[in-house]
Amino acid sequence: MLAQTIVNGLLLGGVYGIATIGFSVVWGVMGIINLAHGAYIMVGAYIAFALNQWFGLDPFLAMPFAMVALFVIGYALQAFLLNPVMHTSLLLTLVVTFGIDLFLIDLFVLFFSSDVRAVHTAYSGSSLEIGPVLISWVRLVAAILSVLVAIASYLFLNRTRTGQAILATALDREAARLMGIYPDRAYGLTAGLAAAVAGAAGCLASTIFPISPTLGISFLGAVFVVTVLGGIGSVAGVIIAGFAYALVQAFAATYLGANYQQIVAFSMFLLILIVRPQGLFGKPFYGES
Amino acid sequence: MKAKHQLAAAAVLLVLALILPAVIDNYWLRVMTTVFMIAIVAQGLNVIVGFAGYHAFGNAAFFGVGAYIAGVSLNAQVPLALAIVLATGGSAVVAGIFGWPLLRLRGHYFAIASVALNMAFVEVILNLGGVTGGAMGLPLPISPMPPDLLYRMIYYMMLGALTVATLVVWHLSGSRLGYALRALRDSESGAEVMGVDTVKAKILAWMISAAMTGCAGGIWAYWLTFIEVGSAFDIGISMRAYIMMLLGGMGTIIGPVVGAFVFEIVATLVWSEFTHIHNLLLGMFLIAVVILVPNGIIHLISRASARLSAARELRRAKA
Repeated sequence: MLAQTIVNGLLLGGVYGIATIGFSVVWGVMGIINLAHGAYIMVGAYIAFALNQWFGLDPFLAMPFAMVALFVIGYALQAFLLNPVMHTSLLLTLVVTFGIDLFLIDLFVLFFSSDVRAVHTAYSGSSLEIGPVLISWVRLVAAILSVLVAIASYLFLNRTRTGQAILATALDREAARLMGIYPDRAYGLTAGLAAAVAGAAGCLASTIFPISPTLGISFLGAVFVVTVLGGIGSVAGVIIAGFAYALVQAFAATYLGANYQQIVAFSMFLLILIVRPQGLFGKPFYGES
Repeated sequence: MKAKHQLAAAAVLLVLALILPAVIDNYWLRVMTTVFMIAIVAQGLNVIVGFAGYHAFGNAAFFGVGAYIAGVSLNAQVPLALAIVLATGGSAVVAGIFGWPLLRLRGHYFAIASVALNMAFVEVILNLGGVTGGAMGLPLPISPMPPDLLYRMIYYMMLGALTVATLVVWHLSGSRLGYALRALRDSESGAEVMGVDTVKAKILAWMISAAMTGCAGGIWAYWLTFIEVGSAFDIGISMRAYIMMLLGGMGTIIGPVVGAFVFEIVATLVWSEFTHIHNLLLGMFLIAVVILVPNGIIHLISRASARLSAARELRRAKA
């Protein structure tokens, strides 16, 4: 029981982690809370579902397609809607992203109806048995892929020129401009990258969770908690926090009952906000607005 | 727009609203009652967001708290007037208790914490059960009054509460507390240096805001005679009120009321035709408001009138 609970938590932790990376980086770099982030995950899940339905493509192989599509969406929304609003008032971006969220969810209800769907593969039901512990293959692959995507995002931000430009803009917008970085372009890239990782998370989520246009809403709660837990803008922190969050949820579900999962999550969230708002691993300069 | 002009406009609107029930049918009576209700919530947001600069996205928490206090009191045979007073005061007390830790957070952090507070109330009531009815919802005693009379009474209750809320905001805008709040909105440390007790001012502002919101929730509960957590703590209430405040102009006296009126009437006339894509249109409307009129209708009007009078001055100078 104990071992199975730990395994359940660990397997979901990676997915929670990459579902959060984009949200956390956007918040850390631009100070924008992207309420449409959940909708991006939902769009990614539907891309995996549609490609599987129409062309029989494996949902894990749909990831590159979803990432490219969402990069374009994220970049375009940042360039045309959010950048102009950021110049007037940062807090108003919350209203804009809420509008985008409503728009996307209703759009997908229109095209796909609000029916709950699922992606089935040949290996969906099978699992690996180690002693008394069952490990679902799908979840294992999803966990490994999510850690790989997370490492790639970390390396991109910290080891490439473009990534360094993004972090520089986060630290000091004006100084970055003096160094020849266009903040608006850096912001567009950040938003695109964040949306792309959310799309990847959506593909992984489509193999584990039922898909509906409101899929993102249920994710957004977890995304908030993991962001705050990991420290805003910190990719490494987010991944560790993703696993921590999933473990706590798994324990709450096993030992307290599924009803208490939400309460435990909220309590963690409010407690960390009050006691340590920079998160467990965050540096204080990130996310200051 | 000067406070004097805004107040004159408000007085005209009030007189119109007082005679309105004599000429409109029941459908529009219902629509107008909803306009007043959501305008109260928008006015409540105006105090904490427009004046203090704390973006309380989860202010619907107090709408729900007010509704549940009124519901539980009415079920305990408390008279209606007292139940509404309890809902108003009780919401303010709750805001005072939670404001103390939460108002230390700034910017986005506070916005999110207020949403989390709203969601936490939902979970607490669902798991509490008992007098709140839990997940089953809470039926309220049904009034013995004939429906025509009852709905007119509720109309006037909402109108009265909105009038009081607007007068409070008017008084606030010229008071010591109002100046303190605007000072801390523009620079919290600056206000502190000038001798403003920022913690006290912020908490008071949230309590006033919560009292208004809770009062609207209390009357709403009596109106609906059945409440459940989903509709009482609906984040959509905060969001709609937020759009209305932006649309009208935050930090102004009648801006939120004008915004509520314009928004609800547009919604009723236009969106009732497109119910299946309601949210899609609402989302587009939201984005359009932020990009096109970020400062609200009231500022738009005062800018236009300033330009007009400048043109008049110019003509007079030439002549």
